[in-house]
Amino acid sequence: MEKVDIKRLTEIAGKDNVRNNPADRYVYGSDSSVHEASAWIVVKPENVLQVQEIVRYANSNKIPVIARGSGSGMSGQAVPINGGIVLDMKKMDKILEISPADGYVRVETGVVDDELNRALKPYGVFYPVAPASSRVATIGGEIANNASGVRSVKYGAVRDSVLGMKVIMANGDLVNLGAKTRVEASGFQLDRLMVGSEGMLGIIVEATLKFVPIPKFRCLSVANFSKLEEAGRAITGIMESGAQPSMLELMDHVAITAVNKTLDLGLPDVEAILMFEADGMVKEAVDFEIDKIKTVCEANGGFGITSSYDLQERTKLFAGRKKLFPALSKYLETHFCTSLADDMAVPYSKMAETARKIHEVAEKNDLIMTAYGHCGSGCMHTKILMQAGEGKQWYHAKKAVEEIYDYVLSIGGTTSAEHGIGLSKAPAFKKEKQDSLPFMHAIKKALDPNNILNPGKLMDAPDDWMTATKLRYHVN
Amino acid sequence: METKNLVSWEDTLMKCIRCAYCFEGCPVFKELGWEVDGARGKLVIAYGLMTGELEFSDYIAEKIFQCTFCRDCVERCSANVSVPDILEAARADLYEAGYSYESHQQLLSKLENSGNIFGKKLDHPGFTGEKAVLLGCRLLERSEDAEKYLNILEKLGVKSKTFDETCCGMPFAILGDKKRFSIQQDKFKETIIDKDEEIICVCTTCAYFIKNKYPDLKMKYIIDEIVERLPNYKKKIKKLNIKVTYHDPCNVARGLGMVDEPRWLLCEIGAELVEMSTYGKEAGCCGGGGGVLVTDKKLSEKMAENRVHQALDTGADYLVTLCPTCELNLNNAAKEHNGRLEVKNVLDLVWEAMV
Repeated sequence: MEKVDIKRLTEIAGKDNVRNNPADRYVYGSDSSVHEASAWIVVKPENVLQVQEIVRYANSNKIPVIARGSGSGMSGQAVPINGGIVLDMKKMDKILEISPADGYVRVETGVVDDELNRALKPYGVFYPVAPASSRVATIGGEIANNASGVRSVKYGAVRDSVLGMKVIMANGDLVNLGAKTRVEASGFQLDRLMVGSEGMLGIIVEATLKFVPIPKFRCLSVANFSKLEEAGRAITGIMESGAQPSMLELMDHVAITAVNKTLDLGLPDVEAILMFEADGMVKEAVDFEIDKIKTVCEANGGFGITSSYDLQERTKLFAGRKKLFPALSKYLETHFCTSLADDMAVPYSKMAETARKIHEVAEKNDLIMTAYGHCGSGCMHTKILMQAGEGKQWYHAKKAVEEIYDYVLSIGGTTSAEHGIGLSKAPAFKKEKQDSLPFMHAIKKALDPNNILNPGKLMDAPDDWMTATKLRYHVN
Repeated sequence: METKNLVSWEDTLMKCIRCAYCFEGCPVFKELGWEVDGARGKLVIAYGLMTGELEFSDYIAEKIFQCTFCRDCVERCSANVSVPDILEAARADLYEAGYSYESHQQLLSKLENSGNIFGKKLDHPGFTGEKAVLLGCRLLERSEDAEKYLNILEKLGVKSKTFDETCCGMPFAILGDKKRFSIQQDKFKETIIDKDEEIICVCTTCAYFIKNKYPDLKMKYIIDEIVERLPNYKKKIKKLNIKVTYHDPCNVARGLGMVDEPRWLLCEIGAELVEMSTYGKEAGCCGGGGGVLVTDKKLSEKMAENRVHQALDTGADYLVTLCPTCELNLNNAAKEHNGRLEVKNVLDLVWEAMV
């Protein structure tokens, strides 16, 4: 902290936008991951010029700068592993332009996903990236992690919605990347490079995003399965059938139990449920998709299928999925929910096998794990539920994480579907991307020679996530 | 540094997965904007104090006392982390370590000496029926309104019995003075002559607090009693034909879980109800709770102002609520708007419809 010139930062951002109290530094030192490391100082810029000046100052003095949205990431992306300046971007939350004619919206990156959609609603359009954390997730955080969400099966991930952006580079320069048009073939797609770069290549201060019309009809259905494998086979079948769900979610028994313990939804006590949605402008088209998916579910053992077009009913039903992550904390009073091996993507045909493998690994290592996710995109989530106060459980968890990712890579899957790499998934990421790591290092070196932008993450993260930082849990 | 109160919450603090979903509706976070101001930030501070990674300081005391206990965070947390209970423990640890505000001490001294937050003798209205009714100090002080509300019960066939009340002890508990809270609890229980008898409670704060801290007492909230009995009185109701918006007090909607009943009541008396942008269990906060009204009046006023703006946006003539503290804080904020919005208690409207 002694390295930071508080006076200079105060001159740049104003007294009210700089905090260096130990409590602030501590609070901004953790997110929704297992990691914890204190910031040296927290600055809340109000505009692009302030960000530029802060980055210039940091670059001259080789001080780390970590951009942070709401800090809801699960892999430690926003944890200042080497200290430094945490840039809280939430004050840059203006919606700058909504252009219905050109089909884009321009925003500062501190805008929260749900807020953006509230602003777009009167225009009859929506920004379709819908992570479960959309109520708090900022656009900047979503872009930096290449987030996706429940509707990614139809509408894609963030990278599919970003048209262009303004980025502050490590030397403080402001650059325009991408375009405002739907297509662009002019040279290197540097905007794409920024998507998923986890704040290591530049600070994204403005984004131009495309939107899509709000469908007139949405139908949400739930199918129950006695066997997890049957649900997995149904997922493969649905995607193979050419059906176009706008949502296809899996919840296993652990997830169902956790939701039933905290929310009054009365989900059936089965091994798995699939939640699927179809949307469209014509009801018959939606019915057609739903019927098609239902048929596949039934052919694979799905039963008790219920469907609803009613917004209130759909919202209630979907609440179980939307609030699942925190609900997992309530699965067992003695166990704590940790964001480990939280996210991966596997081929559709391997969904059932992956879900089963997750439970196998959990049992072998004396842990509890769950399998759920946006399976229509091949996205599988899990969490490790363990007695986080017990030291030996962490070693079990470490082994389980390694076994799961080794398996995922062996079947042609990838380390992260949408949550990013940060610290806790870095060992698996480095294993998966070993042939392209030198290129990533070269790009980082070229764009950020002083290594000030979120250092120590992704390919630069320590090999052992468990000792990368202090764990945020009180471990005996 | 001792954190004996917080230590008992260690498991709950570990259960919090720090997802930040509690940012969404936190009125203090919305107003002040730093993560230390939101529910998650306060829990992280509490955790740091418990583990010794943070030490008590004036700044930490400021943050821990800047919470209205509106429970919006609890409502949005599917891990069911009870933020107010944890902050109550943190406040107790801070208080015991000597971190207390002058304004808190003044309030608590008044309470200790007089048995109410006003520091003066408050006479009960002298109703001598059979059914015990607890008014709460804010209504004892508004004696005309207290009589009015008791007369609603009379008209509905409840013969009220009022008595010499003393505070339920809530201010001691939420401001961290556990010792005096325990003494006040005993005093409060002494005033309840028949502990097996059901008591009707008029004050929303007392109703929720008693439900939680005095599980042996049989408390019934006045709205439950009115809703049960009003159908028999329906023919005598004069429809009011007014446009209102209803502010759900946190202790009623999120505390007692009562959202529909006050709305039903408003509908029964002929009020046209228009909802604000946040309502029900996700309703915005009036800024008056958790001691913030005495700890940080300016912050409290800003929150009230935000809520009044939401009410003005509805185009309603009346902003109605049930909690006397909400009423007070919202009324002060509404005064700034040149009579465009009148703040009233739902019970006032019920009375108007009855006479």
